[in-house]
Amino acid sequence: MTTLLEITDLSVDYGEGAGSTHAVNHVSFALEHGEFVGLVGESGSGKSTLGFAVTGLSKPPAHVVGGSILLDGIDIASLSQGDLREQRHGGVAMVLQSGMNALNPVRSIRNHFVDIFRAHGHIDRADWSSRAEELAAKVELPSSVLDRYPGELSGGMRQRVSIALALSLEPKLMVFDEPTTALDVLVQHAVMDTIIELQKKENFTALLISHDLGIVLESAERVLVMHEGEIVEDAPSRQILENPRDDYTRMLLSHYADPRAEVVELPGFEARTPTVSSRTRRQDQKAIVVDHVSKVYPAPRRGEPQVTAVDDVSFTLEPGQSLALVGASGSGKSTLAKLITAVEKPSAGSVRFGDLDVGALRRGQFRQLHRDVQMVFQDPYAALNPLHTVEYTLTRPVVNFTGLKGLDARRRVLELLDTVGLSPVEEFAAKLPHQLSGGQRQRVVIARALASNPQVIIADEPVSMLDVSLRAGVLALLEDLREQWGVSLLYITHDLLSARVVTDNIMVLNGGRVVERGNTAEVLRNPSDEYTIRLLDAIPNPGRRDVA
Amino acid sequence: MSTQSIPPSTRAVRAIEEASIAPAPSPLKVVLRVASTVWSNGKARIGIIILGLMILIAVFAPLLAPYGARQNGFDRSADASAAHWLGTTAAGEDVLSQLIWGAQISIFVGLVAGLLSTVIAVLVGLSWGYVRGFGADVINFIVNLFLVIPGLPLMIVIAAYLSGGGIGMIIVVVVITGWAWGARVLRSQTQSLRSRDFVTAAVFSGERPFRIVFREILPNMTSLIVGNFFGAATAAILAEAGLEYLGLGDTTVVSWGTMLFWAQNSNALLTGQWALLFAPGLCIALLATSLTLINFGVDGISNPRLREGSKR
Repeated sequence: MTTLLEITDLSVDYGEGAGSTHAVNHVSFALEHGEFVGLVGESGSGKSTLGFAVTGLSKPPAHVVGGSILLDGIDIASLSQGDLREQRHGGVAMVLQSGMNALNPVRSIRNHFVDIFRAHGHIDRADWSSRAEELAAKVELPSSVLDRYPGELSGGMRQRVSIALALSLEPKLMVFDEPTTALDVLVQHAVMDTIIELQKKENFTALLISHDLGIVLESAERVLVMHEGEIVEDAPSRQILENPRDDYTRMLLSHYADPRAEVVELPGFEARTPTVSSRTRRQDQKAIVVDHVSKVYPAPRRGEPQVTAVDDVSFTLEPGQSLALVGASGSGKSTLAKLITAVEKPSAGSVRFGDLDVGALRRGQFRQLHRDVQMVFQDPYAALNPLHTVEYTLTRPVVNFTGLKGLDARRRVLELLDTVGLSPVEEFAAKLPHQLSGGQRQRVVIARALASNPQVIIADEPVSMLDVSLRAGVLALLEDLREQWGVSLLYITHDLLSARVVTDNIMVLNGGRVVERGNTAEVLRNPSDEYTIRLLDAIPNPGRRDVA
Repeated sequence: MSTQSIPPSTRAVRAIEEASIAPAPSPLKVVLRVASTVWSNGKARIGIIILGLMILIAVFAPLLAPYGARQNGFDRSADASAAHWLGTTAAGEDVLSQLIWGAQISIFVGLVAGLLSTVIAVLVGLSWGYVRGFGADVINFIVNLFLVIPGLPLMIVIAAYLSGGGIGMIIVVVVITGWAWGARVLRSQTQSLRSRDFVTAAVFSGERPFRIVFREILPNMTSLIVGNFFGAATAAILAEAGLEYLGLGDTTVVSWGTMLFWAQNSNALLTGQWALLFAPGLCIALLATSLTLINFGVDGISNPRLREGSKR
């Protein structure tokens, strides 16, 4: 094998002068022809910045400050925009995380291909159509897709189209930047399979950038681990899996486990036995009873059928219980959360909390429900008002629900911050959301949910936006709160591993219906429904693949 | 902004413990940062300088103007001379002095009418964006009514109806005809913000709708509102000049609009008195331009991509 890409001592900075930050710090590595290499790191590690530098797509304020990027002996960093454009044919192509949104909504897929053919002129006009069909076939799309518009395709199909577009210039090097992160779990798996197949057939060199060590270990032959702008480990996949040298790599690996195993251990969840019921029950705690609930949304367009998001679901969330609600996107799990919290009203059936009929609540009566039923949101970056301090955010529910005022309210706010492990409390109280990390923000969101001293917490994918290393901490916090405060937890997720460690019971939703329910450990170890099995199979598992 | 958004009760506590807490950015710092962002934009800087000069001229008109605004008795329709730099009007008044005094009216009307129509746009736009159902439909109907009726004819009709009210009347007319567009824009932004998680979270925190709209949503669209204010002020200045030019204002008041009205009445173009016609016209254009230029900088506050110097 010969070297295709050689990066020596590369540094990329954001901004200039004293205020600049080093995103990539003296990085050196090489890619051989036809190699499949993974680049793993958590958010802020500089992996995407490195990917953009390699493809010559760095945008201000990011700029290369040192080192060289040699592709077949040509230094990409020193090329002009025009030369770089020429070089794209047979050079480097990139598939972005949001690649599915990179398609122009008013142009058909065929036009997207034609644009590229026309710009580079490497294919005869007469062959445009057949070439486009050929490319679509490579990513397992029927040729009828070419006459569709991006809005008519699903996320997975659009991401396949953007991969086909990247392929149309016969690149030697393909950089995939989180190609499946924005996709649904089941689709994610299928798209990754296509990428792996394609790489074998077309024999291009692939650099797969991902935060998910599981996905990378499943597909790549060699893995680069990036941490704070530096490559801390560069080794074949098997060696990373069996004998990781760096502490950081070891830490990343420790967060993976098979949810089907007899005993599942994650950092912070050592030796959790399948059922825990040692918590102290509170007085007069009420259950949430969901009775034959359906939710039907009107048809998106005329002539199309109505959308049934939730279809005849019944369950009871007992006081102190922890229940997982699992399913792929579109399975109705978030709609169910909205029905329980009165954000939406059921089309049929009823939701009751104690003797409160949730479906019949009017806007003015929401406080009655939210005093006891609170929610933890998926995206900690969107769930906090960027202009309010942590103290303001937490003071509001304290004042609204407990009636405490002044010093008492402040004392309660500081107590809440202490509960969620944000100390020194005074310092955190004065901070604005942008001064906090993702994990810290999620703790503030949890503290806010606790402010009214609720009986039930509904957590909608509370860790899916967080880095792997922060997830365990937030999950452990939820688990502690449940045990100490006797709060019941409805944990909504597509991540079966986290469901295994924090919940006792599980419900699997598919197309708005409950397809399987029971004890979490038992269901995951002996799934009976096919859909559950597919969900389990879709989980990236570093140990599963036979590493070459 | 942060101090203001903490309930008064906690503010007292905070004052006691201020020393031990790492300070959050003070309102002063926020204002300074915003100001420096606007100032860093070349176009906005030119706009600020022009507007600043105009305001200074208006404020110090009594000191700067060589004569009184309505002081007549000079040669009628005289050309430019050392005593009268821009000549005199048909009534024998000094044009330069009128121009300087007239700045007061134009800027005052522009700022006040712009502010009032922005306030109405904010109140209507935010509540319209937040409510759903029948209430929203009613507001929708009213706003659309104001949007479809052509502005100038409506202005003329209202001005004729309220005739003889002077500057106050002009402000009322400009505000009535000028708030609807801003309300529509702010409503769209409110609708997009209201679906954000932090607004849903505020509902879970037990907040009342009024507080959600004005404490959670409103501060997140400050730059849009400021931009709307400058746009409304520009429109108000132009509308004021237009109405007075048509003779619908109080023609005894000296403003740039009435100067144009009298210049037209005395056939200034035919008598070759260019300054009489062009000077107030240019001043109006310059004032409107300065506000528009400032808006380029205001855009940069909310959208860093529009900041100058950041290519692409």
